[in-house]
Amino acid sequence: MTDYQQINDAIPLPPADAKVSTTVCAYCIVGCGYKVYTWPLGKEGKPQAKENALGVDFPGEQFGPWISPNQHAIVQLDGQDQHVAILPDFDATVVNPNGNHSIRGGVLAKKCYHPSAPTKDRLLYPQIRINGKLERVSWDLALDVMAAVSKHVLEKFGESAWAMKTYSYEFFENTYAITKLAFEAIQTPAYAVHDKPSMGNDTAGLDDAGIKTFSASYQDWSEADVLFISGTDPYETKTVLFTEWMMNQDNKIIMVLPRRTAGVAYAEKNGGLFLQINPGTDTLLHLAMNRIILENGWEDKEFISKWIADEWEIDSGFGRGTRNTPWQWRTTWGSIGALSFEKYKDWLLNYAPAELESAAKITGIPQEKIQQAAKMISGGGGKRPRTSFGFEKGNYWSNNYTNTTSFASLALLCGAGNRPGRVVSRLGGHQRGWIGAAPYPRTKSPEKLPGRRRLELDLDRWVTAGQVRFAWVIGTTWLGAMTASQELLKKFRQQTTENPHQVTSSNREEIIQTFIDRVDSGGMVLVDSDIYPVEPLNTELADIVLPAAQWGEHDGARCNGERRLRLYSRFSDTPGEAKPDWWAISQFAQKMGFKGFDWKDANTVFEEAARFSRGNILDYYPLVWKAKQDGVKGHEALRALGTTGIQTPIRLEENELVGTRRLHDPELNLGTPQGPTSHPKWLTHFNTHSGKALLIKSPWELFEDYYERISPKRDQGEFWFTVGRINETWQSGFDTLREKYLTDRWPDAFVEIHPDDAGPLGIESGDYLRLWSDDILVQESGFQHIEPKSFSFTQLMKDGHIRVGSGEMKAVAILTTAVKPGLLFGMFLYGKRMGNSLVHRVPDPITHSYRYKLGKANIEKRGESPFKNDFHKMSFKQRDYSGT
Amino acid sequence: MKKQTDCETSSEGCSGELGQLSRRHFLFGSGAALLTLTLPTLGEAQVLRSEYPRQKIGNLSQLIFNQPLKFRYPWDHVNAENYLIRLSEPAGGGVGPENNVVAFNSLCTHQGARLDENFDGKACIAGPCYLHWTTFDLTRHGMVISGHATVGLPQILLETEGDEIYAVGIQGLIFGYSNNRQAPV
Repeated sequence: MTDYQQINDAIPLPPADAKVSTTVCAYCIVGCGYKVYTWPLGKEGKPQAKENALGVDFPGEQFGPWISPNQHAIVQLDGQDQHVAILPDFDATVVNPNGNHSIRGGVLAKKCYHPSAPTKDRLLYPQIRINGKLERVSWDLALDVMAAVSKHVLEKFGESAWAMKTYSYEFFENTYAITKLAFEAIQTPAYAVHDKPSMGNDTAGLDDAGIKTFSASYQDWSEADVLFISGTDPYETKTVLFTEWMMNQDNKIIMVLPRRTAGVAYAEKNGGLFLQINPGTDTLLHLAMNRIILENGWEDKEFISKWIADEWEIDSGFGRGTRNTPWQWRTTWGSIGALSFEKYKDWLLNYAPAELESAAKITGIPQEKIQQAAKMISGGGGKRPRTSFGFEKGNYWSNNYTNTTSFASLALLCGAGNRPGRVVSRLGGHQRGWIGAAPYPRTKSPEKLPGRRRLELDLDRWVTAGQVRFAWVIGTTWLGAMTASQELLKKFRQQTTENPHQVTSSNREEIIQTFIDRVDSGGMVLVDSDIYPVEPLNTELADIVLPAAQWGEHDGARCNGERRLRLYSRFSDTPGEAKPDWWAISQFAQKMGFKGFDWKDANTVFEEAARFSRGNILDYYPLVWKAKQDGVKGHEALRALGTTGIQTPIRLEENELVGTRRLHDPELNLGTPQGPTSHPKWLTHFNTHSGKALLIKSPWELFEDYYERISPKRDQGEFWFTVGRINETWQSGFDTLREKYLTDRWPDAFVEIHPDDAGPLGIESGDYLRLWSDDILVQESGFQHIEPKSFSFTQLMKDGHIRVGSGEMKAVAILTTAVKPGLLFGMFLYGKRMGNSLVHRVPDPITHSYRYKLGKANIEKRGESPFKNDFHKMSFKQRDYSGT
Repeated sequence: MKKQTDCETSSEGCSGELGQLSRRHFLFGSGAALLTLTLPTLGEAQVLRSEYPRQKIGNLSQLIFNQPLKFRYPWDHVNAENYLIRLSEPAGGGVGPENNVVAFNSLCTHQGARLDENFDGKACIAGPCYLHWTTFDLTRHGMVISGHATVGLPQILLETEGDEIYAVGIQGLIFGYSNNRQAPV
């Protein structure tokens, strides 16, 4: 093995005949298009345009194309070491025109595996924990053991004792295989995605209002006069959406966030507005703004009369069905429920918490700023601007249901939702790579609210209750990604490594018997599929660890935040015996005796899954259908569309594939559906049975008791601890922690603190802080509710379903006025530093979404970090700097 | 922010090929012929210092706080435009009695826009870049503070001889270049 070391003032150029493939960034929702150049060692191109694959004379033009040193690496391809350069597509006309990119996507090359690179700690072989240590075994043995234990668990304890916890986004081929196994073959309700304790809507309030969460196109954001952005700074976490489609446009940007970021600094310097909100109080802000708009008659009357359901339309036709499914009961339940415009207005104008004075006090936003914002988004009775509304986790990961219903109402009153420049959408986190092979088996969920209202099972609580005997985790940290992480870790230890039945031999039968004894004694067998060692999930806890293939090592497909479908091409070998997750599932399912899992390659899965995308917003069935007519594979038809791809839902018109720019678009001329095309009503109308949007009551009382209990007691040294993400790191750093360039910037977890809070405690930038709390709430029971009020926070406390636990973490202090006094901001998870340990584990009872953004902490100084005076690592300079 | 006039670019900095080694040697530190050295202030950074010209770019006594001095190095080329600046605090690679004199290339390493008006000696920040608001920390070898660049801002390595300041190398690839040491065509 050659140990390569690249110097940093030169890069090798791809020769004119370098192999070029297209792909899409592995990271954020925006999904920028990239080109991958590979070429053999010793065959470098030359600076003359004719002699390199970029066709550029080096040094080149001022704005590129260019290859930065972090865009080149060595990969293994066909068993040989080769050069790879991964560059934003300079020819792109969509998403990231002219090679725009973020710092994360810009260094994708460093993500690639090579045995001499920092990525060398990839998981290469299946392993089983024997005598406490992970030992290499064959795929066959690992899968045999999994199948034998699974059969025992299913037979003895039933399907709800067999659990899966997986990503929702890592390519259609994989999520289709996962859901085919979990929901069709096993039919377990014990399933949860990476960022929630259960299945269910991310932004239920928006969905219930009739607005699809990714209804907009990027171009729509650029056509707005005013952008109202809540709970995210897209500059940080959806970078190119902001830098390409929101900034440097003729617009004004309003941002609602608890801390001042670079995007806020830009917005303020360009005529926008910053509403620095106290975490968790968005419902009151929205209600106060709605009230100002209605009191002054600034609402979009024409839009409302045409597109808001009246009393008859709310309950017309078959009404809202049997009222057993979550959206049915949410929109009919008296405490919330949909109202006609007149009734909504009447409710709001008589609703005390929506009064400006009290809302300003609780949100922490000055009254005049709330008034100014209401005027900006509605036009204040003058010329109505085109206003678009985008939001993300800061909004819906605090008070999930009523933050999202009230946000939807705010947008609808301003006439947004179905027109160019007037859209409402999530801005997104991960890309959209989910296809369900079968619906989640809600009727099997042991969790219910009063009446026959079945809820998706809260898997964390189910594990904590000792009900899970076998769990297969795929591509998520589980513990650190969920709340009260250290409390969850304690429970996992109890169920796995602290159980007396531990494997001491590599004999197949002995391993299986040990695990059967474990599950019979009340313990749990844990399997983890991942690309890297994940502390503590697979380093400490998992009994079986399976190595997965990553981005670039297999062909896969998924969509971005404007539903743009593209192929992510394979350009390097898969190391060791690592395999795509769909393959592991197929092998396991066949050992279980399930039919229909014998896929021969990724394309076979892609084509099969297409049928299950029909009628959904990610419908790509017509693409596969047409590919078959044309005699090509589905993947190849998509590959031919390069980084442009096509926006789903895809339609077939006159034998041509047509993409869909915007959902709910009344201007869309559909005609009669042709061939494989579906025309769901929401293409041209809102997604309700009447096709009109719903205004939903959003009472603060549903949340108020919880909010008061968890608000930090300042006189006891408690701070709000709100968690999030940072531009230069992808999520928890699960792979970017191996990229030196990025870890020099963020070598450790950080916490932002206001100088007025830090000063009296003798804290300076660069000091280590211990953050801790002995008052972290954990809901451990309460699956069934008979009485209407029994799932309220107050009643759950009273009935003993919630106990008090603890959590702590270490982080490097950064003093900044970007946060208000009394509030700390840090990473939700950074490597092994689990910020979520300081967040309560009591989900929104209506939607099961965690209130991630509402943690709390006491702090103490723990000496200086090594980065305090190191010129090479970590910067403590102002991130919201806007120039002199 | 007032700028001093461009300093003279030495003829040495504008002539011919810098390195005579093969490409392979440049790219992979495998040859003994490759002189690399580790400067104390640059830590792990490997610098092919002997490959670069030594060029006088200014005098300590004439460099006024927060008034950047523009110069071209190592070539007389539009992308090779740099600023010499005295900061309000000591910096990595800083020279002078207070280690606060540094020099950086002026092209944003995100997409190559000019950071000309945006070298702030008081805040020790370059940027925000007018295109997409990337900022760089001038005390920490041009590390990205916030933004999109995939490498830090290239730092010009400085040495002093009495009052005179010399550029002696570059840490980092200049935007648009494939090799700092290869003469622009």
